[in-house]
Amino acid sequence: MTDTSLLLSPLHAAHTELKATFAPFGGWQMPIQYAEGGVVAEHTAVRESVGVFDVSHLGKALVAGPGAAEFVNSALTNDLGRIAPGKAQYTLCCTDSGGVVDDLIAYLVGAEEVFLVPNAANTARVCELLAAQAPAGITVTDQHREHGVLAVQGPRSAEVLAALGLPTELEYMAFADASFAGTPVRVCRTGYTGEHGYELLPRWADTTALWHALLAAAEPLGGKPCGLGARDTLRTEMGYPLHGQDLSLEISPVQAGAGWAVGWKKPGFWGHEALRAEKENGPARRLHGLRALDRGVPRAGMAVLDTGGGRIGETTSGTFSPTLRTGIALALLDGAVPPGTELVLDVRGRSLRCEVVKPPFVESHVR
Amino acid sequence: MVPEQLKYTPEHEWVVLVGESVVRIGITDYAQNQLGDVVFVQLPEVGERVTAGQTLGEVESTKSVSDIFAPLAGEVTARNDELDGSPELINTDAYGAGWMVELRLDDASALDELLDGAGYRELVDQG
Repeated sequence: MTDTSLLLSPLHAAHTELKATFAPFGGWQMPIQYAEGGVVAEHTAVRESVGVFDVSHLGKALVAGPGAAEFVNSALTNDLGRIAPGKAQYTLCCTDSGGVVDDLIAYLVGAEEVFLVPNAANTARVCELLAAQAPAGITVTDQHREHGVLAVQGPRSAEVLAALGLPTELEYMAFADASFAGTPVRVCRTGYTGEHGYELLPRWADTTALWHALLAAAEPLGGKPCGLGARDTLRTEMGYPLHGQDLSLEISPVQAGAGWAVGWKKPGFWGHEALRAEKENGPARRLHGLRALDRGVPRAGMAVLDTGGGRIGETTSGTFSPTLRTGIALALLDGAVPPGTELVLDVRGRSLRCEVVKPPFVESHVR
Repeated sequence: MVPEQLKYTPEHEWVVLVGESVVRIGITDYAQNQLGDVVFVQLPEVGERVTAGQTLGEVESTKSVSDIFAPLAGEVTARNDELDGSPELINTDAYGAGWMVELRLDDASALDELLDGAGYRELVDQG
């Protein structure tokens, strides 16, 4: 079945050639896994060697004009004052009531230019909200289909970039504008896997050539093309929230443990009053990590019970961890539950014992 | 891959006679391919009775969970314990080491009502 309303990545033909399994993702038809790999093999490639992902569905937006950075800083939660030009920052776009419209990466190019990478499904909304508030002279441009996005992630990712003559000596969350085969590409030391890695932003039309070159350099190192299935198991192992599941209009950054991405000392940002009040009073529920003690796989939306059978929350993400070879989940629980506490998940009527753990579930190697 | 000597259900299970009124059951190569990496298999215990269409177990992959339905009525006479420790056998050898259970059928003639290889292939090709 082909849903013709779905948008296609610039690499759609390349994925088809690799016999990818596709699924709709934020309005885009994206590869979940490849025939030669599979979620576990692709996941393992990233943890042990290197994986190359097409994440061109991610949004791209440019905020430009005199005072652009200052304007973005007055809207999004994190404090751009904490970073210098040439660095990127994880930040949130909230509503006045503190709900999360989207989580995104803001690249500080300079005082007059901020490049944003929101989630695919939320890009239009983020652009609309920013455009509505932008002072005269500042433009907000949705560039969703002007750039592709390729992620190269894993302990051998630097070798892959070096083979293409791209810069690798970047600090975590730094970026540089470089070129590949005479075409511009922005190289960022960012990612969503917990490994040392890069995200590359070529022009849309140049994405295919870059993809093939990256794969050719990665394969001799044991690298693989990786789909969004592995991206999800990798990010869940790190406890990174996924917007729409662990962060949403109903789940605030204070509840999701993303308070570190809020510039509390700033005079203001969208949702600051509601979020300050919630932080002060303590959130009614908080995101926790759960690790299965028995065999079974948690999924989003399962009830979490205490050992007495009382319902204390619900899972927001859940999967099988290929690294730990056990089930793991993120769950919103009433109050704060200490690590080590044993709880029970209701897996379609069956009980799955699990314990509260503080994410990440697997050690991070981003730096 | 749809071996000719097996019988099939529209729910993507294969069935083969391995003894008098005893059949071995697994899921097809098409089914394992759709599921992706299998990480957990829940099987019934030996001695359990099942009716046709009843849930026989679950196959869980990194992506999703699927019920396995009893293709025919009978009693469970064997379960593949290897799948407890090596659920990936369903991916690597769906028609062999990845078998799931054996059933002693109440009515062996019911086997004739299942799809043959050609019938199943047609069903899969229609998507």
